[in-house]
Amino acid sequence: MSLAKPMMRGLLAKRLRFHLPIAFGLAFVAAVAFKYTVTEPRKRAYADFYKQYDAVKEFNAMREAGVFQSVRPSGE
Amino acid sequence: MAHPSQLGFQDAASPVMEELLHFHDHALMIVFLISTLVLYIIVAMVTTKLTNKFILDSQEIEIIWTLLPAIILILIALPSLRILYLMDEINDPHLTIKAMGHQWYWSYEYTDYEDLGFDSYMIPTQDLTPGQFRLLETDHRMVIPVESPIRVLVSAEDVLHSWAVPSLGVKMDAVPGRLNQTAFITSRPGVFYGQCSEICGANHSFMPIVVEAVPLEHFENWSFIMLQDA
Repeated sequence: MSLAKPMMRGLLAKRLRFHLPIAFGLAFVAAVAFKYTVTEPRKRAYADFYKQYDAVKEFNAMREAGVFQSVRPSGE
Repeated sequence: MAHPSQLGFQDAASPVMEELLHFHDHALMIVFLISTLVLYIIVAMVTTKLTNKFILDSQEIEIIWTLLPAIILILIALPSLRILYLMDEINDPHLTIKAMGHQWYWSYEYTDYEDLGFDSYMIPTQDLTPGQFRLLETDHRMVIPVESPIRVLVSAEDVLHSWAVPSLGVKMDAVPGRLNQTAFITSRPGVFYGQCSEICGANHSFMPIVVEAVPLEHFENWSFIMLQDA
């Protein structure tokens, strides 16, 4: 009984064929994950903030809190 | 203003700064893509004894690693140029203010209608009242009307300074003998802080900038009072 001839060639190429698609896939997944966990939520947060934003109400709240130097709270 | 343990940018208070934020997210996404790829390849390469000492060339891989970076660069350049030209738009300002850098304070001149000018010194730490921010507060703030295009002409009286307000996406060098122009619109009322951004001597870190955006009628009242006090 003779042993099967071991494969002694193309080992690095085989390793690269295995790992390179995973490398590119992982990089793509990282980019997509960043896009949908950071980029899109941030865009939505800004859009939502300004959709309901009442500048007059916010200004009056800041004014009463004494934030401004040019406009004192209405009591003063 | 910045807060402790902050990692990213301050919240945007102008449309341009919002665009810059989104562009930064886009560029950082590409950075993570490339970094993940390179890190994985490095780990894969250092965890094997397999080598190939006899490869001479490969047209296919050369094409791939030329085209892919070129495409990535275009994907970065297009939004970048878009924002660059957006920042350069002709914007017909409602108000022009001159910000002059001195050692070590800023002075502001509102000369569109009357001659209003004042200095803006940092409030020393020992003079702060509770709730005020150390090294950021000034005795006189640059007050502007909210949601109005503002033009700021920046210059200096002695050495180089730089007028910067991160939340508005504005930074402009103050060069003696030169008038630099920048413009912005505040999206919401509030108080926005910045600091001198060009080394200018011993108290470079102690000449902050405070921009206060209020509705137009309050801005007019403030400028009337300031003119009277002058």
